[in-house]
Amino acid sequence: MDVDERTTADHVGLQEKTITVTVNGNSYQRTVPVRRSLVDFLREDLGLTGSHVGCEHGVCGACTILLDREPIRACLMFAVQADGTELTTVEGLTWGEELHPIQQAFWDHHGLQCGFCTPGFLLTTYDFLREKHGATEPEIREALSGNLCRCTGYQGIVRSVQAADETWER
Amino acid sequence: MGVKMVGASVRRMEDPRLLRGEAAFVDDIRFPGLLHMAVLRSPHAHARLLSVDVRAARELPGVVDAFSAADLGAEPPGIPFFYNPESFRPAPQYPLATDTVRYVGEGVAVVVAESRHLAEDALELIEVDYELLEAVVDAYAAIQPGAPVLHENAPDNVAATMVYESGDVEAAFAGADRVISKRLDMQRYTGIPMETRGVVGHRDAVTAEMTIWASTQWPHTMRTVLAGMLAVPARSIRVITPDIGGGFGIKADFYPEDFLVPFAAGRVGRPVKWIEDRNEHFLTIAHSREQIHEVEIALRDDGTILGLRARHITDCGAYQRPLGLVNASLAGTSLAGIYRVPALRVEAVCASTNKAPASAYRGAGAPEATFARERLLDIVARELGMDRAELRRKNLLTPEEMPYDTGLVSLEAAVILDSGSFPAAFEQALDMADYAGFAARQQAAREEGRLIGMGICVYHQLTGTGPFEGGSVRVDPTGEVTINSGAAPQGQGTATMLAQIAADELQVPHDTIKVVFGDTGRLAHGMGTYASRNAVMAGTAVMMASTKVREKALALAAHLVEVDPSDMVLEDGYAHVKGVPTTRVSWAEIAAAATPGGNRPEGMEPDLESVQYFENMAAPYSYGIHIAEVEVDPDTGVTTVGRYVVVNDAGTIVNPRNAEGQIAGGVAQGLGGALMEELVYAPDGQPQSTSFLDYLIPGSLDVPDVEIGHLETKSPLNPLGVKGMGEGGAIGGHSAVANAVADAIEHLGCTVTRTPLKPATVWELMRSAGAAPAGAGTTA
Repeated sequence: MDVDERTTADHVGLQEKTITVTVNGNSYQRTVPVRRSLVDFLREDLGLTGSHVGCEHGVCGACTILLDREPIRACLMFAVQADGTELTTVEGLTWGEELHPIQQAFWDHHGLQCGFCTPGFLLTTYDFLREKHGATEPEIREALSGNLCRCTGYQGIVRSVQAADETWER
Repeated sequence: MGVKMVGASVRRMEDPRLLRGEAAFVDDIRFPGLLHMAVLRSPHAHARLLSVDVRAARELPGVVDAFSAADLGAEPPGIPFFYNPESFRPAPQYPLATDTVRYVGEGVAVVVAESRHLAEDALELIEVDYELLEAVVDAYAAIQPGAPVLHENAPDNVAATMVYESGDVEAAFAGADRVISKRLDMQRYTGIPMETRGVVGHRDAVTAEMTIWASTQWPHTMRTVLAGMLAVPARSIRVITPDIGGGFGIKADFYPEDFLVPFAAGRVGRPVKWIEDRNEHFLTIAHSREQIHEVEIALRDDGTILGLRARHITDCGAYQRPLGLVNASLAGTSLAGIYRVPALRVEAVCASTNKAPASAYRGAGAPEATFARERLLDIVARELGMDRAELRRKNLLTPEEMPYDTGLVSLEAAVILDSGSFPAAFEQALDMADYAGFAARQQAAREEGRLIGMGICVYHQLTGTGPFEGGSVRVDPTGEVTINSGAAPQGQGTATMLAQIAADELQVPHDTIKVVFGDTGRLAHGMGTYASRNAVMAGTAVMMASTKVREKALALAAHLVEVDPSDMVLEDGYAHVKGVPTTRVSWAEIAAAATPGGNRPEGMEPDLESVQYFENMAAPYSYGIHIAEVEVDPDTGVTTVGRYVVVNDAGTIVNPRNAEGQIAGGVAQGLGGALMEELVYAPDGQPQSTSFLDYLIPGSLDVPDVEIGHLETKSPLNPLGVKGMGEGGAIGGHSAVANAVADAIEHLGCTVTRTPLKPATVWELMRSAGAAPAGAGTTA
């Protein structure tokens, strides 16, 4: 490919757009390349590195966040698509100094090992338990089935979700 | 006396940071002016590299540098190998391909740019001329005459052949009532941690030291290798491991990018980061496990094993990096397991193919050998008309035979089983799984048209390999305790475990101890975290250092209160006079006295720190029994794993929660290997498993809860009595599940001889036996 062709202003990757998003209750306005993914935006532009990039093709779930209260894969969206939305990441889960009851349950019940996938599991669990009380183990396993963990074999995670179901007053 | 933390199932100190999203994995490390590296990779499995032209890439705005092997110097440095048997004809990998590419994904050129996007844009501007060569992707085919040749120094594509022999094998086979032989194959699969690899290099402007943050399991080794390849003194390089998102062995390697990032950072004079994407991960990570086993067993009619004779061919891929021969070697020395095998001969052949270089993954040769043996034993039991548990029971070594010298030497260390209670563990597992009642349940299920099976696997593993590990324990003048360890864990909970060990010596709360890992600037020598060595090696080093600090602290405290050191005792964060808890000094007072200029006994050196190295080549062996119960859908071949029982013996368990987490996680990986995971290559060498859509790893619906029983036969080889155990789940899990599937379907008239047992494979096995239900056949 010709160099000039790649460097022209209409090279879509180099176009920029200004967006405004609310993340964990804070409003941010940033100008970003239109090809920047939402997870890269959170990590690179806002310094919120708790959301992790595990596959960049929407399978592993490590980058799961909430967008307007719905769980999404932040690697499958462009930052510009999130303009005007409200996002929740793992950094927004913690209650000040206190761990959220879900985080506490993961600590108490050995719900993590390396911790790389954990933020995605926490947000998935948050979304699941917000609506669901008294979940059965099959329901929990189904709810978690879109997130991959390579360390735990899942049983610690399932125990953690069961415990959070009990302890989280929602 | 005092608080005993070793053995306590405490929560992990590591977790709050990870749960809050405050951890720092390698991609979370950033600097002002940070540049990003991208690697142009060969799209061909085998080709001559006629020319590489990076000039156009250099011209793209935002690109700072672009280079190929030609820019690495007249003689580019090769990646060294650590295991060098006599027969080895090494095929070292260079950081970038020099004149030939030998697998899809091999690096050809590099771009360094202001962003990763720009760097990848520029890769498209690099012009490469390839002359295509014929590829070979099957190890068996590769070692036949006439196959395409990868390396001139090994025209038969055999990189090494290692022979392991003990006893009189010829006599054993000549005198046998029965000889049974089988070819048993394990597929190519590997660790696939959720965090890919990554490297950040940054030259410190003040010290001129190149500091490298890397997702590596062996930072000190990385430093040593890099210093050699860059031809600089070791002091010029500092390697730091940040949080690591899983490793499972594949991050205990030295990869081209581990060199290219610091090399590029040195060239451009700015910090450089490279983070592997998932596609690159599948193409270039150390692949593992792929072995063809041709194995023969000599027996008496009563099931007594007289000998084993085997040849296995390991698919080593295109090059051998540091541990490239380890899987082949350890499969050879693991084959007999914890059974009484009076005579053994294994020929371990290392074949080169046009696939990604292979190296160690969780178990490193043991899962492969265990599959060959445990699958064979089930086949033998069936042929002898003998119960498979009885066959194993008859041949298991007994405690009276410990320590048991196999007569073999693996990786320069003698293979001596140090301790164990194998029959007791075996019976405990059979009881937990209700083996005795299973035959009736299986029969009842079959009468309902259901296929259920139970699989047994007896495994053992080499753990805690030498030659050493380092650890330091220091107490600051304000009284806080810090451990520096040469380990570089990836999620094992090692910080908590080491703090528990130190807490017992120092009698301070374990969660007040800070544990720092994997920083070559803080500890002169270290080995790292692989081969299930944290508890054995890092744990013992920390225990040794803690003991020294304890002794010195007691002497200082005694001096301060003017009694004899033997009259002092440590308790609750203080040293006090025995029987007089009110006459006490705090750790802060003790440490303050230890500072230079402080109030020390005459002749005592200042400071309160000890750096210790546990030097040990005698590796403890842990073992366990896995029993899986599965159900196979006769219409689809889909396997569901139901109950899963493990009895594990790793000597003293420092933290049972951590240990059980290792077992459960390992079983999930073994299950993945038995049922779904496979790195598939097309005949032309094109990789087919390059995303999580075509390489399945187990999810929450696939993995059962694991019921765990512990035995604690302490190892005599270290003061804690510990054995490693992190890999056992993956070793036992693969074969227990595979044997369970076999038990569910083999009565139909088929034999399971390879994994993975994907639904289509199982369905085909059932169909080939002519026994699949009619409905299944008509829908095909």
